[in-house]
Amino acid sequence: MGAFIARRSLRMLVILALASVAVFYSLRFAPGDPSGVALSPTALASAREAYRHRLGLDLPIFTQYVVYLSNLARGDLGSSLVTGKPIGDMLGYYGKNSLALGAAAFALTYLIGIPLGVLAAAKRNTWIDNLASSLAVLGMGMPNFWLALLLIWLFSSRLHLLPSAGCCAPVNLVLPAVVLAAEGTAVTMRMMRSSMLEQLSQDFVRTHRATGLKERVIVGNRVFRNALLPIVSLSGLRLGWLIGYALIVETIFQWPGVGYLLVDAVLRRDYPVAQFFSLLLVLVVVLANFLADLAYGVVDPRIRHA
Amino acid sequence: MVAQAGEFAAGASARPVRERSAWRGMWRALTRNHLATLGTIVALVYVVIAVVGPRFAPYPYDQQDLLNANLPPLSPGHILGTDQVGRDLLSRLMMGIRISLAVGVGVTAISVIIGGLAGAIAGYYRGPIDTIISGIVELTWGFPLILLAVILAGSLGPGLRATVLAIGLVNWAGFARIVRGEVLGLREAEFVQAARAIGLRDRDLLWRHIVPNVIPPTLVMTSYYVALAIVIEAGLSFIGMGAQPPLPSLGVMIAEGRNYMFQNPWVTTVPGLAILLIVLALNFFGDGLRDALDPRLRGR
Repeated sequence: MGAFIARRSLRMLVILALASVAVFYSLRFAPGDPSGVALSPTALASAREAYRHRLGLDLPIFTQYVVYLSNLARGDLGSSLVTGKPIGDMLGYYGKNSLALGAAAFALTYLIGIPLGVLAAAKRNTWIDNLASSLAVLGMGMPNFWLALLLIWLFSSRLHLLPSAGCCAPVNLVLPAVVLAAEGTAVTMRMMRSSMLEQLSQDFVRTHRATGLKERVIVGNRVFRNALLPIVSLSGLRLGWLIGYALIVETIFQWPGVGYLLVDAVLRRDYPVAQFFSLLLVLVVVLANFLADLAYGVVDPRIRHA
Repeated sequence: MVAQAGEFAAGASARPVRERSAWRGMWRALTRNHLATLGTIVALVYVVIAVVGPRFAPYPYDQQDLLNANLPPLSPGHILGTDQVGRDLLSRLMMGIRISLAVGVGVTAISVIIGGLAGAIAGYYRGPIDTIISGIVELTWGFPLILLAVILAGSLGPGLRATVLAIGLVNWAGFARIVRGEVLGLREAEFVQAARAIGLRDRDLLWRHIVPNVIPPTLVMTSYYVALAIVIEAGLSFIGMGAQPPLPSLGVMIAEGRNYMFQNPWVTTVPGLAILLIVLALNFFGDGLRDALDPRLRGR
């Protein structure tokens, strides 16, 4: 177990180091730089040069990278080139909003996906199963940004029930969370269903039935736990997708979270903000995968991370 | 899955005549599945539209006609209606399908080739080369694709180039994983051992026995990945990071119609349905193919 954690921690460090270099270099190779946003288009070339010099953008990229890392190590996250706000403050505000949205979507995904998958498997080939499976197929095929538009059209424009955008009351959270959760719920439901079906065809289930154990106990207790395994092991990956989709969903609903901020920062060439938040998201994804692997060992005692 | 593919192939490769019938058995299982058949037909229709559609389009996709803006479907001269500046939706849809499909297929083709090669080499030669390749795959796999695309759009400028690069850079790892697994299993399969025992060279072994058996599972994955690439491209185009207007990828069409959704919902509905349809078609095709390949699932 200790060796496993050590090996995985090393791998996470490698990924983060590579990602930081990649992010740093790719942003700086980009055409255009922050002076295009901060200064007027008619600014003199000398003013532009002075601005770049003040930010250290005229140094070799490698030197800039080392400076950035040493600042980071001292806890200095820098501040936005556009608004001048310190990144630490932005992290608090945008991070909290993203956490709320992500947690809501994650909860929706599993609270709906898992029971629905169990139900569909238990009532296999009935109308319940068919309905749930059809919905899942639709959920997987539907591009989430289009779903967002349809829901806005229905609930905001026609029924006037929910706001189409904005922050930060719980009522603002409903539509983005549903849209963000849609695909994951569909995938989880389908995976849970097929996983349950696979477990139900195992010998131990037949033995349980032969001993007269109630079907409810067999399905709800014995089979369920085993069937949960693939869901747990893929939950880290799912979180990665959730973060990716959050960039799109937050942008559509103008939900001021990290995804919305990142898309905006990339478009405006706000280097420090784009750098910090893309690395933060990479860190979250890598950590989530690690935790999912650990959880896998807890759920399935046969797996020991030797 | 690996074992099944191996057994399935073992019978097939022992006698060349039965090799064809194994493929035919798969085809039969695939066509028995109505959803899969439907998916195949829809996908083929899309391919035809993408290839020849724009040539037969009634109007140029970017020709504006402000006097005939926001026409509903079934208007005279415009079967699917027109958008906010009077561009013919059918013509734009045909062009949009061409772009979206080209991105989906193109990116996936690159991922299959790179991932397939890397996976085959890793699985066949094992040892240190496998360690290196698997290490890179593990690093790449699970990296948030959309995040990468947004970062790349930051460096290359928003556009199809960044989108294609991002999808390709992540998706090859998926193929490498599955091909490596298959090859590892096949390598130990009896028919491969036998072929090696009679002195077949590495290259012939790979091409004659391993590659043909890796193709079907790869094909299943390919259909899912094309669908995924189409959705991702559309999503990125929608937030302005992918294809740039006036080029009508399906995502751009939805984004452009967004502001006119309340006057004319068709402008977003038509491309939205087009994406939904092709994604479902590719998924049904992939599911059908997967079931057809897995004898345990046949006839379920």
